[in-house]
Amino acid sequence: MTTQTARILIVEDDAEAAAALSAAVRDLGCEPVVMQSYEDGLRAAGLAEFRVIVFDRMLPGGDGIDAIAKIRAAGSTALVLVVSALGRAANKIEGLEKGADDYLAKPFDADELRARLRALLRRQEMVVMDNDLVTFGDLQIRMKARTVHVKNAHVPVSPKEFELIAYFARNAGEVVTRMQLLENVWNLHFDPQTNVVDVHVGRLRRKLEQAAGHPVIHTDRGVGYVFDPQKDPVG
Amino acid sequence: MAAGIIVLSLSAMALQYRITATALETRQAELLSAELSGFAQFYEQRRIPGLREAIAARAALTTPDEGLYLLQDRNGTTLAGNIDRWPGALAPEGALFAPAPLSEIAIDGTEYLGVARELPGGFPFLAARAWTPVTGTLDELRGTILWVAAGLSTLALLAGWLVARAVVGRIGRINALADRVAGGDLSARLPGPQSADEFGALERHVNQMLDRIEALNRATHRLSDAIAHELRTPLNRIRQRLDRLEGQDEDVAAIREDMAGTVRIFDSLLDISSAEAASGQRPGLVPVDLSAIAAEVYELYEPLAEDRGLIPEARIEPGAWVLGERNLIAQLVSNLLDNAIKFTGPGDGVTLSVTAGERHMLTVADTGPGVPDDIRATVFDRFTRGERDRAVAGHGLGLALVQAIAARHGAKLSLPAAPRGFRIEIAWPSLPRP
Repeated sequence: MTTQTARILIVEDDAEAAAALSAAVRDLGCEPVVMQSYEDGLRAAGLAEFRVIVFDRMLPGGDGIDAIAKIRAAGSTALVLVVSALGRAANKIEGLEKGADDYLAKPFDADELRARLRALLRRQEMVVMDNDLVTFGDLQIRMKARTVHVKNAHVPVSPKEFELIAYFARNAGEVVTRMQLLENVWNLHFDPQTNVVDVHVGRLRRKLEQAAGHPVIHTDRGVGYVFDPQKDPVG
Repeated sequence: MAAGIIVLSLSAMALQYRITATALETRQAELLSAELSGFAQFYEQRRIPGLREAIAARAALTTPDEGLYLLQDRNGTTLAGNIDRWPGALAPEGALFAPAPLSEIAIDGTEYLGVARELPGGFPFLAARAWTPVTGTLDELRGTILWVAAGLSTLALLAGWLVARAVVGRIGRINALADRVAGGDLSARLPGPQSADEFGALERHVNQMLDRIEALNRATHRLSDAIAHELRTPLNRIRQRLDRLEGQDEDVAAIREDMAGTVRIFDSLLDISSAEAASGQRPGLVPVDLSAIAAEVYELYEPLAEDRGLIPEARIEPGAWVLGERNLIAQLVSNLLDNAIKFTGPGDGVTLSVTAGERHMLTVADTGPGVPDDIRATVFDRFTRGERDRAVAGHGLGLALVQAIAARHGAKLSLPAAPRGFRIEIAWPSLPRP
């Protein structure tokens, strides 16, 4: 059992944040390893196999985003989530450009953090997922043709709606937050004042529900959405 | 300065020329006067026959190029001289052999100055010296002066050019550096050793000044990073503790929302000041397609506008490339569309347009109530909100950020008077399509 438990390295000097991060990691059934300084974090990353590394930025001894290149150079396949108080769009873009796989600003929401970690773990699992045809029960997505069929009937979607459904499909069954959608589908790293994303998801949801006869995208308590075509609509 | 030296030298030469000309004239006048007094002696002793011999002797020695001598009788018959006719228009004047008055005489292009008299008994008498040698000498002198002046000017210009080139070259180095710094490269310095002269001192001062500016800039960045860190970390702790609270879900949700709002204000302020600090600087900007970004953001907002009962419209010409930062431009368009949607009501139109041109024009216009008069002048200031719109969510930072982002890209922003609603035009420096 322990051999199968995925380990996640947390490099964070703030005790409260480290505790919150560890709790989220445990919620996902993984084992947290906490380091409190840049050097210790870097050393730990080289000593053991981690699925995901969560790095803070303003650490004693250095900036987490400078560690990414070193971790990669050392041969680690871990995905890196930067969690930092440097949370402006410009900081996020800088972090992503320097190789971070995701970037979460403090203060963060526990749900948001779990969604991000889950998406990273999932990405780790499906390294070779270039299946052209992705099927969820009677819903079929053809990646190359960029088409969606429900019960063999074509559901017309706009290019953006297709990108949306493709992202949902990659994270099927998991909570996906609005911020994740905005970042991954629209490639925008700021927080729009209005919930523009909800309107897009709402339209796609109605389209799919109409075609399928049951809900395909579910709302999760104001946190985000879950794409699950086979979920029992009552449950 | 070179011009001054040239003018001075030329003045000196002009003075020399004047002195020479005067001296030559005086000498000619003295020669004439000496001859006249000689003739006077001959005339006193033996009257016309004596004068006739003297003139004949002078005439034999003198060609008409050098001087004129003529003595005639009352019938116009020539008694002696080196010409045989009295010059046509010349009227005799003056008495006997006095050196004045003088007459100017011209024969076949040669100019003379001398005396034309009628001696007692009606004998016309003429004695004159040619000006030609004088003019020749002066011509020669003028020629010399001209050559010297030309040589001097050339030398002065050359010397001036060499000095100027050295000075301009060193000023050019400093200007080039200033351009780089103005372009945002605060690490630029004047390379190489500085010379011991004033220029070297200036270069050293410029470098020291830049060291100081760079240090201050770094300190400012560190400070805002520190503020971000020091405020967000405790906020994060509050957030984590909130997550552990049981019950009172509504209150917890409200506190979370307030915290998110606080962070948003804080981010906007930092975004505004960082965009302002980088205003007009090139580093960090890359060629981006303004048309494509505008279209993407429009597409993001279109369904929301439709759901609110608005009539959204996009008129976007393709290929408007600018030097920019995609996320910032997207944020600018997003803020404008967000405002347009926020301040209009069902049935209103919201239009986003991009026209490509010498300066690409991005326009967002709506048919809503427009800017309230009480804030028209301060609409781009931070925290400006109209009394009328107190009920609408927001902190009055949206347009301040729009202005800062426009300035960051060197884009000019204007609020042309519209018959109805709000209209903002942003003119972007264009890039050739890659």
